[in-house]
Amino acid sequence: MKIAVMQFPGTNCEFETLVAVKTVGMDGELFRWNRSAGELSGFDGFVIPGGFSYQDRLRAGVIASKEPVMNALKEEAIKGKPIIGICNGFQILVESGLLPGSVNGSGKVDMALAQNVMVSQGKIVRRGYYCDWVNLRHDAPSKRCSASFIIERGALLKVPIAHGEGNLVTTTPGLIEKLNEESQVVFRYCDKNGRIINEFPFNVNGSTESIAAICNEQGNVLGMMPHPERAFFAWQLPAFDPRKQRPDEPGPGRRVFQSMKRYIEVNA
Amino acid sequence: MKIIGLSDPEVEASLRNAGIGMSVAEARSIAEVLGRDPTLTELFCYDAMWSEHCSYKSSRATLKEFLPTDGPNVVMGPVEDSGIVAIDERWCVVISHESHNHPSQILPNEGAATGIGGIVRDVNCMGATVIATADPLRFGNPYGSKASKVRWVAEGVVDGIWQYGNALGVPNMGGDIVFNDSFDDNCLVNVVSIGIVQRDQIIRSRAPPLAGERGYDVILIGKPTDASGLGGVTFASEALREEDEETNRGAVQIPDPFLKNVLFKANADLFSLTREEGIEIGFKDLGGGGFTCATSEMGSAGGFGMEINLDDMHKADDFPAEVLSIAETQERFLIVSPPELREKILKIYNEDWDLPNVYEGARASVVGKINTGDRFTVSYKGEIVCDVPIQHLTQGIRYQREEKERIISLAEPEMPEPEDYNEVLLKILSSPNIASREHVYRYYDTEVMGNAVIRPGEADAGLIAPVRGEKFGVALAVDSNPFYGRISPYWGGATAVAEAMRNVAAIGAVPSTLTDCLNYGNPEKPEAFWEFREGVKGLAESCKKLYLKGYEDQQLPVPIVSGNVSFYNESPQGSVDPSPVVACVGIMKDFSKAITMELKAAGDKLFLIGPRFDELGGSEYYRTILGVTGANVPIVRFDLERNMIYAVIDAIEEGLLAAAHDISNGGLAASVAEMALTRPAKFGVELDLDNVQGSDNGMRTDKILFSESSGFVLEAKPGKEARLVELLKSYNLEPMLIGKVSNKRRIVMSRAGNAVADLELDGARNAWTTGLAEAMR
Amino acid sequence: MSQKINLRVWLKIPDAEAATVKNTLIRRLGFGKVLADVKKERLFSIEVDSGDPQEMARAFAKELVNENKESHIALIDELLFEEGYVPVKVALHIEDGEAISIRERLRSRLGFENVVDVKKATIWKLYFKTLKPEAEAAAREIAEKLLINPHKDTYEIMT
Repeated sequence: MKIAVMQFPGTNCEFETLVAVKTVGMDGELFRWNRSAGELSGFDGFVIPGGFSYQDRLRAGVIASKEPVMNALKEEAIKGKPIIGICNGFQILVESGLLPGSVNGSGKVDMALAQNVMVSQGKIVRRGYYCDWVNLRHDAPSKRCSASFIIERGALLKVPIAHGEGNLVTTTPGLIEKLNEESQVVFRYCDKNGRIINEFPFNVNGSTESIAAICNEQGNVLGMMPHPERAFFAWQLPAFDPRKQRPDEPGPGRRVFQSMKRYIEVNA
Repeated sequence: MKIIGLSDPEVEASLRNAGIGMSVAEARSIAEVLGRDPTLTELFCYDAMWSEHCSYKSSRATLKEFLPTDGPNVVMGPVEDSGIVAIDERWCVVISHESHNHPSQILPNEGAATGIGGIVRDVNCMGATVIATADPLRFGNPYGSKASKVRWVAEGVVDGIWQYGNALGVPNMGGDIVFNDSFDDNCLVNVVSIGIVQRDQIIRSRAPPLAGERGYDVILIGKPTDASGLGGVTFASEALREEDEETNRGAVQIPDPFLKNVLFKANADLFSLTREEGIEIGFKDLGGGGFTCATSEMGSAGGFGMEINLDDMHKADDFPAEVLSIAETQERFLIVSPPELREKILKIYNEDWDLPNVYEGARASVVGKINTGDRFTVSYKGEIVCDVPIQHLTQGIRYQREEKERIISLAEPEMPEPEDYNEVLLKILSSPNIASREHVYRYYDTEVMGNAVIRPGEADAGLIAPVRGEKFGVALAVDSNPFYGRISPYWGGATAVAEAMRNVAAIGAVPSTLTDCLNYGNPEKPEAFWEFREGVKGLAESCKKLYLKGYEDQQLPVPIVSGNVSFYNESPQGSVDPSPVVACVGIMKDFSKAITMELKAAGDKLFLIGPRFDELGGSEYYRTILGVTGANVPIVRFDLERNMIYAVIDAIEEGLLAAAHDISNGGLAASVAEMALTRPAKFGVELDLDNVQGSDNGMRTDKILFSESSGFVLEAKPGKEARLVELLKSYNLEPMLIGKVSNKRRIVMSRAGNAVADLELDGARNAWTTGLAEAMR
Repeated sequence: MSQKINLRVWLKIPDAEAATVKNTLIRRLGFGKVLADVKKERLFSIEVDSGDPQEMARAFAKELVNENKESHIALIDELLFEEGYVPVKVALHIEDGEAISIRERLRSRLGFENVVDVKKATIWKLYFKTLKPEAEAAAREIAEKLLINPHKDTYEIMT
């Protein structure tokens, strides 16, 4: 089971992502953007890690989305292989049209991840980059999506975010309704009890309906703003989380990578 | 340029016209050594190399006289870009600490970003993986007469730091911010970076043995050289005048974290290439003094000469030789390597990592050769533009500056005790110097790399676990209190070391090394130079008397392995408060034993160590509530301090503590409140001040609560109290049981059975969490 | 009487973002045959309801223009561009938090209470090898294929 962890100029989460991939028992290697795109067909799954590809020039993810390797990834997506985009990886998947993935497969861009706007009681209280741990609620049924394959609906995950552009907006009529109906909204920001409260600090970036992660219709491609690879060991959790006291245990984010592995096994 | 035969005023005029800052005497001494008039390029090169920043011409003698730089754990002291200390047999920590004060005052965003960009290069060029940065910042008064400018600077600096560090992908794990009037016209932006490297994979910043005999290549990599930052180093060595601001702006460099991110990965490939081939190279970053500094220092450190051809340098435009020689274009490194590696090295940068397509004009170019001579020779467009003795250029010059004590009149205030301690406490908690730093650190990516164990806001120090599969953790804390430095530059230095070590100890880490960034006024003024010397003496005294834990029987000092001196932090309105900023690296054998400062469980007992003394000079209470500085500055009682630090480390190692927090700004009251207010802020506290040592002999309540005498507040794990008391006593400490964690969401402090303060937790938290955002709005 | 101060701001040093956009258009999106060069400006349009506009423009430039690396021109109640390129103005159609912050900073921190509104945009200056009608069509295509994400941005050809 071979996973390519994609590396664009400016990517900066590839090393910890590779650790995550390998620790759950998959083979993995870094795949530099200027390698021959044809080599990608030899892999069983893909992770586009976080960072600032091309320094977020023009807007986050757009320049990387035009690289030849992304066309090759589209081919692999059609084959049903799992692709997980984390943070900047999510932004790249949106800009390349792989997410949410139009019904007709046109590759049209159907949404944007705009600048964070933190709103509380109708007022903008903060803007821009933000790093903190957040609570996520899994809103899709298990087996719906590659990267949350083994996670039950309603399960809560504590993972960190660190981004400036994660505010999901769209002008495509009916898109949000469709994402909800088809269970393509995989994670939402919530409070510690799993309640969705659509304002800061719970909705941490102003995203429509507190959406933190979505998948495509087929469920094999997932994009998420939070970083599961940074919540991979219990010791990485914030001080006030009681699980931190059991440092040898897995962290909540590990289930995303375990899901990917299980998804590949089931679909093999 | 003609010097020989001209009068002093004539030489002075032509130096200034050319934009060269050196003195006439310096110019004459160069002409004398060369035996002819120097070229323009030569004068520019000497000017950069002999600047205060590159040569430490005013400070070196003092640093050498006092600072301990060696120790059993020291792998490399302050000789190259960073210092190195051992973690264990295999792994080492690399640390560097610098200032970027002047550029940040002029252009806060670029200035601060370049500071981060420069300091991470210093660490990376030792062959290390950069694992963290920290940023001690000093800004002017956000409510003073220059509030608008101060806030513009503060906002721009914070933006510059996060924009660079986050994009590069290095977590910011600590720092501090202090506001006071003395920084109105001179902010301080200090930057610290740490990395890790295996002991046998350290790369030196010098031409390796036989480089001359075998004609090693000099390879320049990174951004194309331009005119940016021209004169930046000399400008960092001159006092700031507001009317010069427009011209000074040209001296700030343009940082690019994206290119740096790619360069770091290419450098990693270079390091593994040299390991595979088993060939030693020299590697150095280009910082202050630009190309000339990096090349000549590499050659001279190896004992060789070199020939450079500027025609072969990749450049952004057709600049004159003196510009190419000393421009401080960012994101560049220099390699000295054998010719047989040339093609492989060029391929790493120009093809594998595709520098020319990542950044227009960026690449790796062979620009010169090492030789066995003793000259630094540069040619350009068919002319020799520089031909000087390389050691003469790099060894710089020394000045013995005069010192004279600065006499200031100081007095202790005579004031009645406050009637409403709730109001006082709320005011202190919301003061910009005490309030939670959350507003700032939420901009910093503390999680990238996945190594964070304890992050900003959770404890007195940050902690990282940099290597998967290894149990050790690396702790980092910074400190310096300008208000103490103002009263006593000596105790300002001594307390900075003690507090930085306390911070590291409070999570359970053993202080392993220190760095110092010494920020002072104009050293040509005897009072400023006296402040500098006093500060260095204070630092040194603490290092020597607090001992390296594990070697206390030999009384070995905690070594200072890296540092930086920043003079001329002054404007016509005056100089900054003496600010010897200290960073402390601590090592934990097992990072999972580390503890944080938030209260853990209702019913837990709270102990205080460190008696309260009547030494509130420079305290938050005196300044914020009474509006005075005072005279009795906190001092370091070395035996007590050492015993407290060691005891806390041992108690954490033994698993006796649930939480610990050191006492500093705001005193006992602020420290206890912070333990209750830190997330998740679930518990209150009940404090009984009768048990605080100091109160028996009638010490006033305000002095007990707000004295900034050194100490710790410790939350004992239930059932471990007796053992904790026993351990503390074995260090000759008098543990004081001062209260307990409570289920009521209140902070209650009582004396003689009466509540002197009783704050509702949410209200206190609101004051504490909004104070900084208000000051930076 | 309200007046609009337009500040056109561009980099004196090489513009890495413009270089990346050009590189992507030529190497990845097939515009190499028609496209000669790409430059970029920032545009601030600041509406004031009183004061000497030239003087205000100087004060705003001091705040918004980074003289270390940028140049600018101020235009009062007009927005003209030179010949030789197709200017494409890209701006957010969703709420622009940064523009709101700039307005608040000018009003509260710097005391310019006569500032009514601030808008910001990017002007992409597209230099073509082809003649005007084809150039404009190509500019539209470039805007839609790369320069904007329609879910947050709008564009306008400024000729």
